[in-house]
Amino acid sequence: MFRDSKAAFWFILPALVFLCLFKIWPIAVSLGESFMQTSISGRKFFVGLENYAYLLHDDPLFWGSVRVTLLYSLVINPLAVAVSLALALLLNRSKWYVGFFRTLCFLPSAISLSVVAVIWGVMLDPHFGLANSVLRMLGLQPQPFLTSSSQALWCLMAMSLWRSAGYWMMFFLAGLQGIPQEVYEAAEIDGAGGLTRMFRITLPLLARTMSFVLVSNTAFNFLTFAPVFILTRGGPMRSTNMLMYESYKSAFVNVDLGRATAISSMLLVMILITSVIELRLTRASFEY
Amino acid sequence: MHHAHRAHRANHVGRICGRLLTGALLVALALVLIVPLWWTLASALRPAGSLYEYANPLTWRTFFPSEVTLDNFVNIFTNLGFGRALANSFIVAFGAIAMGVVVSAMAGFALAKFVFPGKSVFFFIVLLTFMVPFEAIVIPLHLVVKRIGIVNTYWALILPAVGNGLGIFLFKQFFEELPTELLEAARVDGASWLSIFTRIVIPLSLPAVVTVVVMMFLFQWNSLFWPLVATYSSRYQVVQVAVASHVTAEEAHWANLFSSAIAASLPPMLLFLAVQKQYVRGISSTGFK
Repeated sequence: MFRDSKAAFWFILPALVFLCLFKIWPIAVSLGESFMQTSISGRKFFVGLENYAYLLHDDPLFWGSVRVTLLYSLVINPLAVAVSLALALLLNRSKWYVGFFRTLCFLPSAISLSVVAVIWGVMLDPHFGLANSVLRMLGLQPQPFLTSSSQALWCLMAMSLWRSAGYWMMFFLAGLQGIPQEVYEAAEIDGAGGLTRMFRITLPLLARTMSFVLVSNTAFNFLTFAPVFILTRGGPMRSTNMLMYESYKSAFVNVDLGRATAISSMLLVMILITSVIELRLTRASFEY
Repeated sequence: MHHAHRAHRANHVGRICGRLLTGALLVALALVLIVPLWWTLASALRPAGSLYEYANPLTWRTFFPSEVTLDNFVNIFTNLGFGRALANSFIVAFGAIAMGVVVSAMAGFALAKFVFPGKSVFFFIVLLTFMVPFEAIVIPLHLVVKRIGIVNTYWALILPAVGNGLGIFLFKQFFEELPTELLEAARVDGASWLSIFTRIVIPLSLPAVVTVVVMMFLFQWNSLFWPLVATYSSRYQVVQVAVASHVTAEEAHWANLFSSAIAASLPPMLLFLAVQKQYVRGISSTGFK
């Protein structure tokens, strides 16, 4: 370690300037604006916690969005972890085809979420989409998919899973390869079967990877915007009206910055709380 | 003897079943992943007017166009200005990467090798900014960018991406592995900090540089929300906004949609394929593994 404070200061200065300008300042603005209200004449005045109180007590639209966002996250987060872990276990072997499959799983995550949304939007088109052609071929009823309030959110989940499972799989694969082979050999000599090895060795030793994937997923999914903006605009009947989109509408359609920033501050708090709970859960359940 | 033989046979049957199950899973997986991508490519290569025709009912022609044409690609580039959007995305990505890598590496170096007053405060700021996801501050960031007076310019798309908490963290982790004695020796020889940084530290850290470059490229190239908020004139339209603008139900737009989706996805896919291994290794070296 060097004790040259002056040199250190010059090395951190650019980063400090950029982080303060474009990260810390916006976070401060967000908090500040959430305590303000703008009058029709454009004057801003301090209203304390009124924006939050209004959201919590008198805003059914907000609560609808909270419900949709929570439902989406509660299903997609564990599902993404389970599917990517299953993929990693399936592809953690040395066979000639494994490299091809890993790359294939990884490929969708190189495509942006908005392009994925665009492609899936056409595939799920009720009249001309590929999905319904497949269903018809199999002799099944065609489905309304994104045009139905009971199916749209599930379609967005499937889409998100299709894109991201291979990405998170890579982290699990890295974790699996970090487990020393001797541990398995010792367990086999002791007579541990496949399932025992899975639940007593593999999963506990993957706990760190698991918390990382779960927490990263949580932040990402809570803030889902692109698919909602491109495909459903929150509909049908607000069934996909997630908080990030509601906040966007509040800021740019209704020009109610107080409400928009109050929503995004609440989102941050929700992400924080969920992440802490998830960290606790993954730590507790894999203690051995 | 007889018993052992039966157990052996049961084991054998079990293994064959396991193999069949694995095979079936892999085939299903491949279909789920490939079909949407292949269908998109096949549709982009079909003449613009005949897209609906083959979507339903399903035949082999749905996936293998009888007539292959590049007209849709030519159309988005000549008539819809997709080239401009591609160029904009490259400008924005390279601008952010060029500045971001230098800024993050410098800060990472200070955190890894120096003791200075306020170090823990600075490290807290770094952690805080990479814990708070970018999307969550898009709306207040818009107010800030408006105040600075760079709304609807390239700078609005480049500058907010330069200070990158995760990038700083990645460099810090990597630099900590570099031997301090090496830097001390150079210091004793009278080398300035700047030349130590540019001649010794950076050349020894190319894997970290690659990871941060890829990370920033994918982030910039694939972002939709921020460009949508920060720019409004078509001069600064980036690829993701251009693709999203083709989303309508009319068949004429389907051709544009597919071809622009393919054109927008090729650069990140190629980059991903090229540096896949280093990227994953770099990301998992942050200690989250």
